[in-house]
Order: sequence, then structure tokens, then C-alpha cells
Amino acid sequence: MSEQEQRLIRCFASVFPGLTAEQIRASSAQSTGIWDSLSLVTLAAVIQEEFGVDIDPEVLPDLDSFAAFCTYLSRLERPGRGGGEA
Amino acid sequence: MKLIEALELIGRPGVTTAPELKIFLACGFTPLHLQTFLAAHLRERFPERRISVSAGLFGDLCGNIERLEGDTVDFLAVVVEWSDLDPRLGLRTLGGWRPPQLDDIVESARRTAARLERGLAETSSRVPGIVCMPTLPLPPMFSTRPAQAGSVEIQLHHVVTALMANLSEQSNLRIASAQFLDEASSPADRYDVKSDVRSGFPYSVPHASALAQLLASLIQNRSAKKGLITDLDDTLWDGILGEDGVEGISWHLDRHSHLHGLYQQFLASLAGSGVLVGVASKNDPALVNQAFQRNDLLLSSNDVFPFETHWSRKSESVQRILQTWNVSPDAVVFIDDSPMEVAEVKTAFPELECIVFPKDDHGGLWKLLKHLRDVFGKALLTPEDSLRLTSIRDSSIWRDRSPSRQASPDEFLKAAEAHIAFDSSQLNGDNRAFELINKTNQFNLNGRRFSESEWRTFFIDPTAFLLTASYKDKYGSLGKIAVILGKTGGHKLCVNGWVMSCRAFSRRIEHQCLKYLFEAFGVDEISFDYQTTPRNGPLQAFFAEFVDGLPAAGVTLSRQQFAAKVRPLFHRVEGTVNV
Repeated sequence: MSEQEQRLIRCFASVFPGLTAEQIRASSAQSTGIWDSLSLVTLAAVIQEEFGVDIDPEVLPDLDSFAAFCTYLSRLERPGRGGGEA
Repeated sequence: MKLIEALELIGRPGVTTAPELKIFLACGFTPLHLQTFLAAHLRERFPERRISVSAGLFGDLCGNIERLEGDTVDFLAVVVEWSDLDPRLGLRTLGGWRPPQLDDIVESARRTAARLERGLAETSSRVPGIVCMPTLPLPPMFSTRPAQAGSVEIQLHHVVTALMANLSEQSNLRIASAQFLDEASSPADRYDVKSDVRSGFPYSVPHASALAQLLASLIQNRSAKKGLITDLDDTLWDGILGEDGVEGISWHLDRHSHLHGLYQQFLASLAGSGVLVGVASKNDPALVNQAFQRNDLLLSSNDVFPFETHWSRKSESVQRILQTWNVSPDAVVFIDDSPMEVAEVKTAFPELECIVFPKDDHGGLWKLLKHLRDVFGKALLTPEDSLRLTSIRDSSIWRDRSPSRQASPDEFLKAAEAHIAFDSSQLNGDNRAFELINKTNQFNLNGRRFSESEWRTFFIDPTAFLLTASYKDKYGSLGKIAVILGKTGGHKLCVNGWVMSCRAFSRRIEHQCLKYLFEAFGVDEISFDYQTTPRNGPLQAFFAEFVDGLPAAGVTLSRQQFAAKVRPLFHRVEGTVNV
């Protein structure tokens, strides 16, 4: 597991405290009943603070799974290869 | 605190049977992270409680306050922002900022402020609250350059200041200090425009944490320390009295010793607020007495009791002062310029807060004064605060003239010309009664402490009563020194709480209290919600006089039992019972 993934799991666990690491990795808006707009805003704020990034509100609705956040953060860390903002 | 830490903290399992602390957060914006941080900071401060923070409807601050039912929450935390006074003062509405509209905005803000004041005055009579006035900047909506405060902007600030001033008169409301928040959260870094516009939450995450921390600290309302023991040489004044002489010591700008003058001025302010101030100094008592005759000294000898001036160890002086005050070391601060003296006292009294005086350190003195204000500050001063030092000094005279040294106890008490006034007219507005119940240990029926909401809830019962006793005699006034609370029912009275200040011992006030209960309530029997505690020995001894041996939990006394053993009482008594 990469360091980024570990940190992201901690962020998810703080917002969804009932989920195990495995459940977090597999989580998505569809699979997690408690994933709502409020938890998504909170999750984004936690991730912004923890990773020192600024998440574009326009893309927030698309960040609907753990995997989507992983991909988005990877792009932010490699701005030349992706479309994110640093 | 970071947001992830706050979430982790409130996500930790707590004790499900712990009593709940219910806070209602009233704000006009989406509470989002402020709600999270408030719950987390409260969890830190109240680890033994289950914390719940609820919030009301978005955009309806006044309505949220007006709809609040007092018995559903323990505390109300109100956070006002400019857009609550008029939505045009925020960025989420487009009501127009043309100059002709600004007067209407001011008028609208005035009306909302008046509504808020009415709502808070009414709500705070049922539930204690904290109010925080706008923490965010006004938008750049005025015709002046941002560097210039225009008339409309000043009028808006005046609306808020007037509202704060009026609310500060309410005994059940505490106003958050804008100056304190400015130091904890930089005003320039508070507003998150994007978050406000997108989600309706206007605060940056660090500001939300700082504001929540401030609210939590005001909800906690930590008990203030009671006494300060100070050194003299190079602390209360600059110089060594024994070497420089009475005229050689100084505390003035022209002698570059002004910091000591500020310290004196501060101690005089503390003494005036009911903080006990004592002196522990290795010095010649006669010289100290002369020094305190100087009329330019800002701390009067009347502000200080006792003076421990001799050449023995400082810890011995501290021991005697603590005994005279009858307070525990953890309620006292000791200040001395000598690190060695501070270490010696700290070794003897680990719970005592010991501070090295920051001689010639201007920044250090500023920090010290702020720290002392923090540990001694009280939400509200009571008349008894101004009496405390005098009554301790009078108690010392009382002890000196006590019957073991002079006449028989009865003769002495008779000659004291004591007067006791019983009062049951005030209920939950009696701050002194609430304070006494929550800090008295020795003469305490059961050691029970009350939160502000528990106190209010107790008196909702129409059979509940609160009786206080104030005492004075020819040696001086002790003020309000005893509190009894309980419930009435037919020929029997149930006493659920009874405390008496240790300053009032040896005057048979407790006997008079019982006599008054039997007579004023016309009952034949009183049951006491008594529990033994590690520190309520004096109360145990009092009951033992009537029940022949140590009292059992829930002890009951009949009128006959009391009459058979009550000692002669000489107080002049007045009072009425309103139940």
C-alpha cells in the first residue's frame, strides 16, 4: 500500500468511522449508504487539509469513490500528466 | 486542531452511560466544520460527558434562537455573522450595494439586532448561552477605500457593539471576546469565499477550529483560582528593601522600574475582584510595614492578608497562608523573582502554580498579566467577592478572640451580636448560591456539583426551594455563606444539598439553619440526601451531634431529636420563605 493510499484511508476513516480499511478501499457513493453530500464536502475539506491541495469544486461530484480520489490526487501530484490543479 | 483530528476525536467510542452535554449551535450559515470542531473541543474539555451539538435551520438565526426550548439543551452557542443582520451583508445574496441602499441595510441590521436581543434575553432566562459577534470582515460594499471607515460601516459596527453591550448585562449570557479571537485566528485568514459561496460555510478550517475552541472554553467556564501569594523584593517592587531602604525601592517610569508598578496595579485589581492576595517575603516585618505606608504604592496593605514576612523558608510561609485562607494549593498561584525560591515552594506544594517573576522582561510581564487574568477571571462578580478578604481577616480576629482564649463559647457567641438573614426569593438567578454549591467541600451534604442546566432543571419542580443564609456580626460581614436546597412535601422536608463556607464555622450557623428549616417550613421531620465524601468531615461531625455516631446515607432528623440536642443560639434571625 502506498503512503498516499494510507493517508487517504485515514481521511476516509475519519469521515466514515465505521468502515474497515478494506471497506474504505472498495467504497463509493453507490456502495456506502452513509456517503452523502455533507460527508463528501467534509471528506474534501479533510483531504485538502491533509494533502495541502485545493480540490476543484467542479470535479467534486465526480469524486464518488475511494478509487476516484486516489486517481485525482495522483494527477494533482503529477500536474504535467493530468488535468488537476495544485 | 486539524479537521481530521476533530473527526477522529468525536468518532472515538465514549462511555454510553455518561451524562450527555447537549449544546445547541445557533448560526445562520451551514454549521458544517464549526459543528464538528465544537463537538471535538468539548470532548477534550469534558471527557466524562457525551457531547451532542445540534444546529437549526440554515439562514434563520433569530428563528433558531426563538424556537429553542430551554429544557432540551444544556447550553446555547450563538454565532452571529454580518449576513445574519442583513443578507445583503453577505456574498450569497444579490440584493444590491448601491449607495442609496446602504441606509436601508443599516436600518434592517438595527431591526434584526433588536429581534436578536429580545430572543436572547428570553431564551437565556431558560438556558445559559454564549454569543459571538461577527468574526468575518464586512464585504467591500462601501464607497470609501478599504483603508477608510465610512459612516455606514461605522454605524453597522455600532449596531453590533450596542447589541453586545446590552447582552452583556444578561447574567446568563457570556460574550465571546473579539480581541481574544483576533490573537488566536488572524482576521485576514478567516473568510473562505469559495466555501461560503459554494456550500454556505464561510470559515476557513483553521478559523472554524479557533472559534470552536473559544466557544468550548466559555461553555466550560473553568473555576477561577482563589489566591495569589507574592514576593516583595524585586517582584512587587524593584530593589531590596533591607539594602535600599523604604525610599530606595521603586516602581516608576523614571527609575526604569515601571513593570513593578504595573504588577502592583494588577494585584490591586485582583484584590478588588475578590482574589485573595498574600505576601511571602524574607524580610524585616517592620520595614515591610513602613514600605506599605508609602502612599504611592498601588497595592494597599488592606488588599493583602496575611503578610508572612520573616526569614524562614518560603514554603513555611505558603503553608501558613494556605491555612489562613483555608484553600487548597491547586487554587493558588505563587510568584517570586527567585527561581530557587520558586523551586523550593514547588517541591513542597506540587499542585501550586509557581511562577518566576519576569523582572525587566516587558513581554514576559504582559504574558504574565494575561495568564493571571485567565486563571483568576470570573464570568460574573458577586457582592461576596468584595467581602472575601475582609471576612477572612475578620475570621482571624474571631479565632484570636475565640472562647478557648477568653470567655465560654456561649458568652463569646452572645457578645458577637450575630445576625443571620435567610432568603429564598432568588432561584436560578442566584449566582453566589450556585458558586457556593459547586466549590464547597468541607461542610457539604453530599459533594454533589451542579451544571448550570442541572441547577435550572432542579428548580423547575414547583416543590423545590432554595434557601440562602447571610451572616454578619460585630467583627464584620461574611456575606452569603450557606445554601440549602431541597423539596417540600407535607410534614416532611427533603434537603438535597446543603453547603456552608468554611469561613462561617464555629458560629452555630448550621444549628440556626436547621432550626429555621423546622420553623419556617413547619415540618416535623427533615430527610437529608446525605453522602459521606472524603472531605465533608465537618458536616459528618455536625450530624453526629444529633444521631449519636456517624450519620448513615439518607439520614433523617425529627424536630424532637433536634430540640433535644441543639446548642444555645444567639443570632438575631430574619427571613421569609417563598415556596
